[in-house]
Amino acid sequence: MGKIIKFIAKRLVYSVFVLVGLSILIFFIARVMPGNPARMALGARTPEWAIERLREEMHLDEPLYIQYYYWVKGALHGNFGTSLVTRRSVAEDIKVFFPASLELALYAGIFMGIIGITLGTISGWYSNTWVDNLVRIISYMGIITPSFVFAIFFVLIFGFVLQILPTMGRLSPGVVLPPSITGMVTFDALITGRFNVFFDALKHLLLPALSLAMGPLSQGARITRATFVDNAQKDYIANERSCGIPERTIMFKYLLKPSLIPTITVFGMDFAAIIGNAFLVELIFSWPGLSRYGMNAMLQKDLNAMIAVVIVLGLMFIIVNTIVDLIVGYLDPRIGLGAEMSGK
Amino acid sequence: MSKSVKILLVTLCLIGILSLGAASAAERPFNTNWSWPTYIDPAVGSDFSSSVALVNLYDTLFYPDFTGDPQPHVAENWEVSTDGLNWTVHLRQGIKFHDGTELTAEDVKFTMDRLTTIGEGYAYLFKGVKSTEVIDKYSVIFHLDQPFGPFETVLYRFYILNKDLVMANIKKPGPYGDMGDYGKQYLLTHDAGSGPYIVKEFPLEEYLLMTINSNYWKSIDPNAPDEYKMIGTCEPVTVRTGMSRREIELGDQWQPVEALEALAKIDNVKIGAFPNGSSHYYMLNTKKPPTDDIHFRKAMAWALDYKTAIDKIFPGCTQSRGPVNQFIPGADPTIFQYQQNLEKAMAELKQSKYYDQLDEYPVVVAFPSVPADNEKMALLFMSNMNDIGIKVETLKVPWASIIEIMASEETSPNVAGVNVAPHYPEAGSLLESRYKSDSVATWEQNEWLLDPKFDAMIEDALKTVNREERFVKYSQVQQYIMDLCPTLFIFDQMEKHPYQAGYIDWPASRGEVIPVMGYNFAGRFIKVYPEKRAEMLK
Repeated sequence: MGKIIKFIAKRLVYSVFVLVGLSILIFFIARVMPGNPARMALGARTPEWAIERLREEMHLDEPLYIQYYYWVKGALHGNFGTSLVTRRSVAEDIKVFFPASLELALYAGIFMGIIGITLGTISGWYSNTWVDNLVRIISYMGIITPSFVFAIFFVLIFGFVLQILPTMGRLSPGVVLPPSITGMVTFDALITGRFNVFFDALKHLLLPALSLAMGPLSQGARITRATFVDNAQKDYIANERSCGIPERTIMFKYLLKPSLIPTITVFGMDFAAIIGNAFLVELIFSWPGLSRYGMNAMLQKDLNAMIAVVIVLGLMFIIVNTIVDLIVGYLDPRIGLGAEMSGK
Repeated sequence: MSKSVKILLVTLCLIGILSLGAASAAERPFNTNWSWPTYIDPAVGSDFSSSVALVNLYDTLFYPDFTGDPQPHVAENWEVSTDGLNWTVHLRQGIKFHDGTELTAEDVKFTMDRLTTIGEGYAYLFKGVKSTEVIDKYSVIFHLDQPFGPFETVLYRFYILNKDLVMANIKKPGPYGDMGDYGKQYLLTHDAGSGPYIVKEFPLEEYLLMTINSNYWKSIDPNAPDEYKMIGTCEPVTVRTGMSRREIELGDQWQPVEALEALAKIDNVKIGAFPNGSSHYYMLNTKKPPTDDIHFRKAMAWALDYKTAIDKIFPGCTQSRGPVNQFIPGADPTIFQYQQNLEKAMAELKQSKYYDQLDEYPVVVAFPSVPADNEKMALLFMSNMNDIGIKVETLKVPWASIIEIMASEETSPNVAGVNVAPHYPEAGSLLESRYKSDSVATWEQNEWLLDPKFDAMIEDALKTVNREERFVKYSQVQQYIMDLCPTLFIFDQMEKHPYQAGYIDWPASRGEVIPVMGYNFAGRFIKVYPEKRAEMLK
């Protein structure tokens, strides 16, 4: 346990440097982009004095390093300024939009884990048979097709033709949101015991989550399959077979566990990336998520929102990577956590 | 747990997911989709979706009729001083805000003071209001710093706030001194109006849900929507799916031509089209060679193939007739209209001082990258000009860059292809914002006209309080502009919206069009027939 705490503490120290670096980078990039954010926010017909007032409010009339000082001062108090698009505190926006994206990513993660690993395992177990070839074709299609294409395809099939799943928003009209505890509707609905809301929210989650999961799960299937086949040829597996251990035990106990290590590492990166890259999928499903919010912020030069979104995504990557390292360390103590802790 | 029990449980779960979920609580829901964001604070919102929301949540002193003429609404009657500087408005008594308090002159004064202090949204229309004075509980005077004839018309954008409610929700400190944030945070997600609809839910960036105000002081059609939802999406696939499942009753105006064609193929979905007062202009820089030469400009006007532009690129639109969209009150229907005539174009070009050096003076045409049809238009222009020997270079740029390059005389292109709509429904609005000297360096004027005679003419017209006299002066100004040929007037735009013709009665689709942005989407005039919808879903 002490090792784990030391490992997490070390990661926390690293992450402070990463986040400071990230904040400086995005802060200055955002400010040197062409266009007057105050003018873009208030519109072309707003008088100059109103534009100037907003510039002063945002300290845009000050040198860049002073602006950064104000930003850091605010950020340390949890104040990331006001969004020029929503006209609301950015911290409040993040509180609303981040759980929506996180919920989407969690369900996509479930699909990635269950479907990706299952397909990879089947493919590996039946390597070089028609089953393997079929999974390979499906996986390649999943990898090369962008998530927004899947989104459009699913909307057309399940929304337009079959009309069995919703394609807009988080809940059906007339369904009242449960009290916000986590901000994730399915979790809040379960906590408050509102099962009709849970199922309704789940229906709304299925298509966007599956669209986002298709690429990573296909990639995960390929990686699992490759590691599985590689491990299957190792001496210890042959030894286990010669000892008469049942094939099922070999597969689940001795082959699958080590084969999951690279897959989990990749899934970790994919999971964090989904939150940042889901823009088009969120747009297609009218999903009020962080990615859509961040992209709108970029397009409309909403400086405060832009920086906050990048910082949140950076933080997400750090957290997910730490968790992945912990899991990998648990699965194989020789690498990951063990290596870091031994000072290698 | 046996295998069969597991399979049974999974099956039950799937059935549950696919079958559960509540239906809409509204009897007559009206779901629409728009480009986002939407601001429901009358001192902040001024874009399309915000205007639609404001029209439904608030009341105004005057309301436009189908010709754009002002009709008294909250105002019962009004008078103007002989010098045109003081507008006295007497209010109707007994109008109640959504919280039950009565609308009075204090609310009107508060709204105007707040709007002009904040300076955002539609505040630019009221920059001439020096002060507002309350005479008694139901009378108020607007003091202007100079006469302004169309004042009643700009009051279409004056959405009256409940002073007590806003004051009770002010956050301090804020940028407006004693007034703190002037209630901006509160009005971001709440309304403080007396209009036919009330905000029910407003998760920003997602949708705005309004419910009907059953105590509204004016009549509301019994079939009017009891819930009006504005959804923040314009994604064609989503809109198409929503329309086919009868989950969207009225769609946005930004759907590409191909998407509109697909939507029109859905049973009982039709495309409602009406002129919206916006026109597409090719603004010619009159200070930059070679477009500083009037003969060169006229040659371009004769060379352009307007028919192809309208038939092939912008179907459904009509060719513009002069600087003012023909749908706007005060437009002169007798103004001359150019048609393609290459002989006349060559004759004009020969009189131009650049005729012998056309290769040395290429014409740069800049246009916004969105919508995509702008590029087709620029290519047609290039081809037409090439027919008379004029070289054209195209410059496709994002909208923000168009604003930047038009902000200085040096960087302004020879030609800027831009859509412009009037700020209020009168010819004077367009003529002022398009050509008056104080609008140079904005995206609304690439002509850099800087003509003192024109400035004096339009100022005189706008100061004229008598509407008929003012319109005569507008005609003279339009003729003056035509003589200078500073612009290629290409087409008057048609606004197109898909809607559920099978169970929605939308007046604008029947030609009952109000020429003011947002007013054609007032829910109280729209009828929804849920039984017909249910029939269609069987």
